[in-house]
Amino acid sequence: MSDYEPNLVCFSCKFGWGYLSEEDTLSSQIKNWIPIICSGKIDATYVVDAFRRGADGVLILGCPEGDCHYEDGNFEMRKRVYLLRKVLEAYGIEGERLKIELSVDPDGRRIPQLVRKMSDEIKDLGPIKKI
Amino acid sequence: MTNKPKVAICWLGSCGGCDEAVVDLNEAILQVADAVEIILWPIAMDFKYHNIEAMGDNEITLSIINGHVRNSEQEEMAKLLRKKSQIVLALGSCACFGGTPGLANFRTKEDIFNWVYRDAPTVINPKGNYPQPEVQVGGRELTLPEFYEDVHTLDQVIDVDYYLPGCPPPPELILNAINAVLEEKLPPKGSTLTPHKPLCDTCPRNETKPDRLALKEIKRIHEVDADPNTCFLAQGILCLGPATRTGCGEACININIPCRGCFGPVEGVVDGGTKFISSLASILDAEDEEEVKRVVDTIDDLAGYLYRFSLPASLLRRRRVGEETNLKI
Repeated sequence: MSDYEPNLVCFSCKFGWGYLSEEDTLSSQIKNWIPIICSGKIDATYVVDAFRRGADGVLILGCPEGDCHYEDGNFEMRKRVYLLRKVLEAYGIEGERLKIELSVDPDGRRIPQLVRKMSDEIKDLGPIKKI
Repeated sequence: MTNKPKVAICWLGSCGGCDEAVVDLNEAILQVADAVEIILWPIAMDFKYHNIEAMGDNEITLSIINGHVRNSEQEEMAKLLRKKSQIVLALGSCACFGGTPGLANFRTKEDIFNWVYRDAPTVINPKGNYPQPEVQVGGRELTLPEFYEDVHTLDQVIDVDYYLPGCPPPPELILNAINAVLEEKLPPKGSTLTPHKPLCDTCPRNETKPDRLALKEIKRIHEVDADPNTCFLAQGILCLGPATRTGCGEACININIPCRGCFGPVEGVVDGGTKFISSLASILDAEDEEEVKRVVDTIDDLAGYLYRFSLPASLLRRRRVGEETNLKI
């Protein structure tokens, strides 16, 4: 199991994360990184589809609470994550495999660090169970 | 033999409600029976499977198949009818999406067998007998259909030409579908023979829906005396109308029961459950995460509520169990 590297998908809001960096440079450091305008744009279907396609975890990075360009898209996503975790558990997918962090990082240097941190946590869970 | 178009009506894993809906065509069924030759309808008439096997490929004009596929007999019948038919119509929520029996996909086959043949309080099974596909009795081999790992929709087993969901589908939509075949006025292959809008668009209570729904708490229908004219969501009662296809004639709404999703997702949506999650999240009126938890935790079995009729057709299809399972289909 030591060589197991979890397959993570990371969505991040362009308003709060990495907007001062070159997207190309950052994306070379983060596998399956999907910068998006507003975390509130992430439909529950996208998250579930990531798991269907074999993701071991999904990390969502949104803007700090109370500081969304579109009023409350980040909190909308937080609510969705709570509902999604319950549904994923019914499918045998541990809730910890879906995380949301609301913060800000213009340089985006923390994105690869947060992906690495979640990756390490997922390693303890092991690969997602098979169908 | 006549030259009338041949029609087969067959049930697989089904309660019989879809066949009953065909019977509910009432007088119109006599016109249908005049216009076509029914060559198979196990619930109503006596035909033999070997007569179907003897037919030529594509000899049947239309096969109306209801029910899900969970065992080898159902799979065999579905494949036989596909081979012999020009058009296959998946009738009812079970054939289209797995239906309520599809909720079994949240459990494993092992869980189900252990409960039904060992652990349920009503079971007395001291020898620990479980049904086997093959067993020797007095030097003879007896066989049973094999029970598969999970519930399948019809289109996970055979190619399906048209879909008509509902639990059960309304008789008028069934008649429209049969007439469309007889008159050769069918829409493109793969179409669902219902309106394409969500239920909210045709719901008589729509005008009572406030501009912005805000749920402070969630109630279950039996816990309250629901107003018979007001939008269920406005009353804090979960209703799947926003994420469900219309065409049912608002049958549940009219008897003061919220939509439970039997018509499946609206046109172009694969997974109605995740769409309803997005919809529900946006109408939860909570100030912080604690309040979200307080409201959401009152929902018993959220996943079962979202996928009451459609789990096998959902994006994730079934519970993950561990190592790869030997899925037969």
